[in-house]
Amino acid sequence: MSRTSKPLITIENISKSYGGVQALSKVCLNILPGEVHGLCGENGAGKSTLIKCLAGVVSPETGTITVDGKPLSHGDIHATEAAGIAVIHQESTAFLDLDLVENLFVGREIKKYGWLNRRAMERQALAVMHRLDVTLDLHTPLREFSIAQRQMVEMARACLRDCRLLIMDEPTASLSARETKTLLGLVKQLRESGVSVLYVSHRLEEIAELCDRVTVFRDGRLVATTPIDQLDRNQLIGQMVGREINALTRREEHAGQTDEVRASITGLYSRGSFSDISFEVRAGEILGIGGLVGAGRSEVARAIFGADRYDQGEIKIDGASLKKGSIQAAIEAGIAMVPEDRQHQGLILPMSVSENLSLTILTEITRHRLIHHGHETAQVQHLMRRLAVKAANAKMEAASLSGGNQQKVVLGKWLAIKPKFLILDEPTRGVDVAAKAEIHRLIRELTEAGMATLIMTSDLPELLTLSDRIQVMCEGRIAGQLDGATATEEQVMRLAFPRSEAQLT
Amino acid sequence: MKKFAYEFFLLGLICVVLAIAAFLDPLFLSSDVQIELSSEIWELGLLTLGMTLIIITAGIDLSVGSAMGLCSVSLGLCMHANLPTGVCVLACLATGLAAGALNGSLVAFIKVHPLLVTLATYGMYRGFAEGLQSATTNAPVDASEGIKALVTGNFPLIQILFTALTAWTAILLGRTATGRGLYAIGHNEEAARFSGIPIAKLKFWIYTYTGLLAGLAAISYSARRSATAEAGLVLELDVIAAVVIGGTSIYGGRGRIAGTLLGVLLIHETRQFVDWYWQRSELTLIVIGTLLILAVLGHRFLFAQDPDTH
Ligand SMILES: Nc1ncnc2c1ncn2[C@@H]1O[C@H](COP(=O)(O)OP(=O)(O)OP(=O)(O)O)[C@@H](O)[C@H]1O
Ligand SMILES: [Mg+2]
Repeated sequence: MSRTSKPLITIENISKSYGGVQALSKVCLNILPGEVHGLCGENGAGKSTLIKCLAGVVSPETGTITVDGKPLSHGDIHATEAAGIAVIHQESTAFLDLDLVENLFVGREIKKYGWLNRRAMERQALAVMHRLDVTLDLHTPLREFSIAQRQMVEMARACLRDCRLLIMDEPTASLSARETKTLLGLVKQLRESGVSVLYVSHRLEEIAELCDRVTVFRDGRLVATTPIDQLDRNQLIGQMVGREINALTRREEHAGQTDEVRASITGLYSRGSFSDISFEVRAGEILGIGGLVGAGRSEVARAIFGADRYDQGEIKIDGASLKKGSIQAAIEAGIAMVPEDRQHQGLILPMSVSENLSLTILTEITRHRLIHHGHETAQVQHLMRRLAVKAANAKMEAASLSGGNQQKVVLGKWLAIKPKFLILDEPTRGVDVAAKAEIHRLIRELTEAGMATLIMTSDLPELLTLSDRIQVMCEGRIAGQLDGATATEEQVMRLAFPRSEAQLT
Repeated sequence: MKKFAYEFFLLGLICVVLAIAAFLDPLFLSSDVQIELSSEIWELGLLTLGMTLIIITAGIDLSVGSAMGLCSVSLGLCMHANLPTGVCVLACLATGLAAGALNGSLVAFIKVHPLLVTLATYGMYRGFAEGLQSATTNAPVDASEGIKALVTGNFPLIQILFTALTAWTAILLGRTATGRGLYAIGHNEEAARFSGIPIAKLKFWIYTYTGLLAGLAAISYSARRSATAEAGLVLELDVIAAVVIGGTSIYGGRGRIAGTLLGVLLIHETRQFVDWYWQRSELTLIVIGTLLILAVLGHRFLFAQDPDTH
């Protein structure tokens, strides 16, 4: 790729504000043909807003976007599609009640004599799934897929059509190592064939591996666009946050760990999801659960929290056995869970940040049967400060927060109940590097103070730094246990792959 | 102020209706006529309190009118048997409670869609009411002196009850954990469940409460007219229209008692005037339908969503 080639996309002076918040101010950027262009910045820096402008979902107030020298009309999704731009948004836009094939072809169904040609659509769907190296049932409604699986569907949808620019907003945030690898491979393949990619991620290793140039945003402004070979990790972080951050390192000695068993799970079994799940989590301990997408981690988390039923087994908290399938009982026993799906399970998007944060502590802020606004505001302010939630004010709709800030609100609402046993399912999905380090510190601090923590994460470095002990799940069973202090990524991956596949590779 | 923009819009709409009425016949606004016509507003008002809670959770109760009919018949049977007034009242309220609890259990515990549940009970309750009436008294029962004294006597019992229940429901909705839970359910039931909101309990409770209100409304109706299976016929149209005109979103999650009260006032004044001036009920239906559409358009105009936010 030559540096001198004419840009495919030129963005000039794009500005967009929401009420008082300047989400983008006078951004200028160009994307060359056949380059992978990285986009980095803290949560709320304006990355997704820029992408929405490019996608025609949002109209910028000023500025122009030109594709191949031809101006693109603002806020026109069809013009974007016609110009050969395909977008994978940060939050899945899939139809949860439609199946995979219907989702892939929604709005561009293949027809024969005016009738839907389901056979042809299925054939194409299979081909694209094969290319992505995923196996998903074509006829299952998307509701039953995990977040990661839905992400792969979005990916497939974008790959279905030939495009000149593929925009990906944090595509790997919920993917585990294997899917991430496939996806990165695919991006490279696209680049080879001359497609440009605009790639947003908080995972800096991916940016380094994949991108030709990186653009960094801070507070809606473009800080710099730099070729990747002139930038190391620390410089990149420096551009993003304007200061150094101290990422958490592995814990050498287990401060605060006790022998007191907080949660004990024995012989948990749920038909079709998982079986033979037994483990204990002690007070002061972080137990990490690794595994591939679809290994059954989230299902176990939901079963413990009472959100799903299970067929056999027993869950004990502090020695007392827990009522099956009741979230209220679980909360009463001191369990909190940050679910993987923040948009559907974690947050009530149309309600304000404040109402979301206080939803779990309503009894605590009630005085004489009425919600006490003073107490509520105090609690909410405290939580927002503690998790560094970036919002114009607490009255804002949760829907208008950036993805990473939404995730912080979900964490906040569960930390608010001061849980004895905290279950985290992908707790830092979409959270920027600096905030992630803060959240890690917070989790460890609370655990050292006596909480028991169970963390399921696809982010291997996160799993390795946080966990005292690691169990790896594979196809619904626990495949093995590792010591958090010494485990390596390879060890985790070896346990995570099904036997048959491991022999092939 | 912006928060109450829609309420001001409704107030304006009420003024327009009243102005048209005054123009056509100034007598309509005289206090004598207003007081005479006001008797029905209490029954409508009572039912809308429960309906607001239900619609906020993205539910619906089509059976309110029928439940009111069933309550009225059970009151009639008790009066026919010359039971003491207290027993009559209790029987009527208990019938409402039971009717509401049946709706509530099916919706909350068996998890059947409220539209189906209450469509079924809409037919059932009216059917029971008519069957029961024809099997026993076979005619409307005139209200006993005791019941009459209770409702139409010097002490404005129904009015006071209505005011108290309105205040209580408004506080419940706006200031308590229960209210927050109801809004949360309406916006996103799944996330509410994951937050530990006792969904089944709350749902059961609001349908039961609405049943109880139907019992109260039946007492008021029967005292003014007679205890009959006809009580509350097509009232659900007015009740749902008043709540929706009042700004409660049929998709759940939004709505306030203040808006509902204005909706009640608007529906009531319009219906009374059309009935009184032209004395043609088909016209009333058309006018109320038109109002409903006007209000929905006004709502959309006032809260025109930024096309960027969806
Ligand atoms: N619909 C909206 N209404 C109000 N403010 C909004 C809206 N959408 C975005 N914002 C604000 O614009 C700013 C930029 O948000 P954006 O989603 O672009 O951030 P981001 O860089 O993608 O962050 P993240 O890494 O967390 O996804 C944020 O402060 C956000 O709160
Ligand atoms: Mg974003």
